[in-house]
Amino acid sequence: PTGDSWGIFTFLCAALCNLPALPALNCSEELGAGQSIQQTYDLTRYLEHQLRTLAGTYLNYLGPPFNEPDFNPPRLARAERVPSATVDLDLWRGLTDNARLAANYRAYSRLLCYLRVLDGQVGMAELRHRLAHFCASLQGLVLSIGGVMSSLGYPLPAGPAGPPAPPGVPTAPNDFLKKMDDFWLLKELQTWLWRSAKDFNRLKKKVPPAVVTLRLEARGF
Amino acid sequence: DSHIQYERVGADVTMKCGSMDWDAAVTWTANGTDIDESHLNGSYLILKNVELSQSGQYSCYEGSSWHLKYQTYLRVGTPPKEPVLMCRSNNYPKGFYCSWHLPTPTYIPNSFNISVIHGTKDMVCEKDAVPKNRCHIRYLQLFSTVKYKVTLTVTNALGKNFTTLTFDEFAIVKPDPPESVVAKPVPNNPRRLEVSWQNPSSWPDPESFPLKFFLRYRPLILDQWQHVELSDGTSHTITDAYAGKEYIIQVAAKDNDIGTWSDWSVAVHATPWTEEPKHLTTEAQITETTSASTSSFMAPPTTKICDKGAMVGSGAMAVCWTAGLVVAAYSVLFI
Repeated sequence: PTGDSWGIFTFLCAALCNLPALPALNCSEELGAGQSIQQTYDLTRYLEHQLRTLAGTYLNYLGPPFNEPDFNPPRLARAERVPSATVDLDLWRGLTDNARLAANYRAYSRLLCYLRVLDGQVGMAELRHRLAHFCASLQGLVLSIGGVMSSLGYPLPAGPAGPPAPPGVPTAPNDFLKKMDDFWLLKELQTWLWRSAKDFNRLKKKVPPAVVTLRLEARGF
Repeated sequence: DSHIQYERVGADVTMKCGSMDWDAAVTWTANGTDIDESHLNGSYLILKNVELSQSGQYSCYEGSSWHLKYQTYLRVGTPPKEPVLMCRSNNYPKGFYCSWHLPTPTYIPNSFNISVIHGTKDMVCEKDAVPKNRCHIRYLQLFSTVKYKVTLTVTNALGKNFTTLTFDEFAIVKPDPPESVVAKPVPNNPRRLEVSWQNPSSWPDPESFPLKFFLRYRPLILDQWQHVELSDGTSHTITDAYAGKEYIIQVAAKDNDIGTWSDWSVAVHATPWTEEPKHLTTEAQITETTSASTSSFMAPPTTKICDKGAMVGSGAMAVCWTAGLVVAAYSVLFI
């Protein structure tokens, strides 16, 4: 389907464009950042769209009450370890570009880890395939954000490099609580994608957009 | 000693004359008019199956002295039905407002109480002076994963009712329609219309929370709308207008990423620029242009047949309209 191809294209593009080692790419730092921000924004929108279908399928897999539309459980303390997008309004407004980008980078890196754990445990082949695809796209987003940070001269936050299970995480004591963890993971992921669209909108205004799309695409492929 | 008495429509009401005995001689009046003795049971006034029209002031006088012994104001009404509640954020990310009303009137005074719960926190919804039945809340946190639960309770002297809404922060975002929509013809361009508008003034931060727009337009003579979605900018030039035809144009707005589309803006009307007629064309010229234009779908025949100068008689008008509609139908099929 065209949706998937476009996604892979954007992901590869983001990955390629943001590897500073690639000499063939002829973009000035500022122009590169502007283009990367737009690409990252587009990627968050694509992922948000993909997540809607994925979450629907996954919640059905979990079964009721998780797949009920008005399911509104209280947050349990153990769920707090998933990074939350919720933030005080004035604080969010006052974030520096570096802090804003770093928050996104850290959040998606950790969410990716948790999602990979989820992928390893799911019993349904089709769902595993979808999760794997989503994880690949999410990896692309992390790379893309990293690329923006590098091109703006910010250091990448130290974080989980990639091992599937974050250290020191106790597994849920029972099946229901495990499902609750999954439910909140998907909810936080969804909220982060909504938040990132707004984060990158703000960043777009700071860094002028570049009109070099055609040139970059030609060089990338 | 007077007070207010509330009773349900259709109820049987018994009024006692204060502390008077049952067998005392009394006269009852309703809004000053004597009430017939047939409604009395001793000194009690009996109103069976009360109607709304029976609301009013009821007074009881002692028989001989005409002392006022008791007075009450009867208000006939109904207990409240389930209220209608709506919550919406037209000023994201500042907050949201909720407004409510009763589906049917109760005819007696009602009081409303609204509660907003966000996770475990109780929030205060500040009531607006105008309009009534509306309150607003400021967001303390943004990008929340926890839903908001709003409960509205309606109470009156005859009963109470309530309704609840549960929603995510993102789900209720709906801007107000764009403002100051203006459509102007473009000089020397018979198929263009320039449309411009402004962000709704209630949207507080279009820089960080940009809006995208949806424009729809059609000539008054057709029912089919044409649509254009615009991801930025507050103006657009229509380039495929039928020459000489009056257009109706509307714009709607939506946050770029979340929520739903606003209602349509106030409609504006505009007609594309047309050249001033220099002279009336003859019948021969009209038939010439008819055969030339039926070969192409893209150029609407109205440009050639229906020029102001070409309107010679009712026969030409009939050709004009039919051809125009036929081509419009064809274009719709091919879209």
